[in-house]
Amino acid sequence: MKFLAVCGFGVGSSMVLKMSIEKVCQERGIDCEVENTDVSSAKGTDADAVFTSEELGQELENNVKCPVYPIKRYMDKAEVGQAIDKFFENGGN
Amino acid sequence: MLKDLLPRAHMQQVDHIETWEEAIKLASEPLLKADYIEEAYVDHMIASVNQNGPYIVLMDYFALPHAKAGEGVNQLGMALLKVNQPVDLKGNPVKVFLVLAAIDADSHMQSLQEISEILSDEANYKSFINGDLEEIVLLLTAE
Repeated sequence: MKFLAVCGFGVGSSMVLKMSIEKVCQERGIDCEVENTDVSSAKGTDADAVFTSEELGQELENNVKCPVYPIKRYMDKAEVGQAIDKFFENGGN
Repeated sequence: MLKDLLPRAHMQQVDHIETWEEAIKLASEPLLKADYIEEAYVDHMIASVNQNGPYIVLMDYFALPHAKAGEGVNQLGMALLKVNQPVDLKGNPVKVFLVLAAIDADSHMQSLQEISEILSDEANYKSFINGDLEEIVLLLTAE
């Protein structure tokens, strides 16, 4: 499973989001690889799902093949956990 | 290490500030004075919020302003501003601004990890958001 954590520059917020996703997956026993990146690089990267802000998500939705899940609070593990659960409820796509 | 990137001299507290833009400017002052960053980096951080939205608000009341690594940044560093009365950042009330001046994609990772670990504890998070600066200093410098 490969997830992308995306913010405007791929430096700070997306790194925090990557940490949240890794923690949440670890708690759930999900084996995953998480990469953090900026919004333009994300457009050319293959992944099973993209996690990003609502604003950037709208921009990305038409440019990536995988589902895009909006996250409001990148450090909020409860919110990130809900998005991960939703991804698997949707059959991992 | 977090305490190397964010020394006490980079931390400030004010009671009230009018706008989130002013908060980012004030929070950045120690980094500007010590020549870690140029004025351009401050402008980039503000422009990013206007362009990309308020996702730098990582948790309620806590924002991590930053911009593109290396552009207007001379040295990796962080600075913190505690505002007692929440200031609005595009619909999100914020009390702690932690400016990140990154020189590359990952040399600040360990420090972000430390902050993330500290704040994942509910009691720590509450004193980070509601406490005085000295409480925040203790939290961030405790082993």
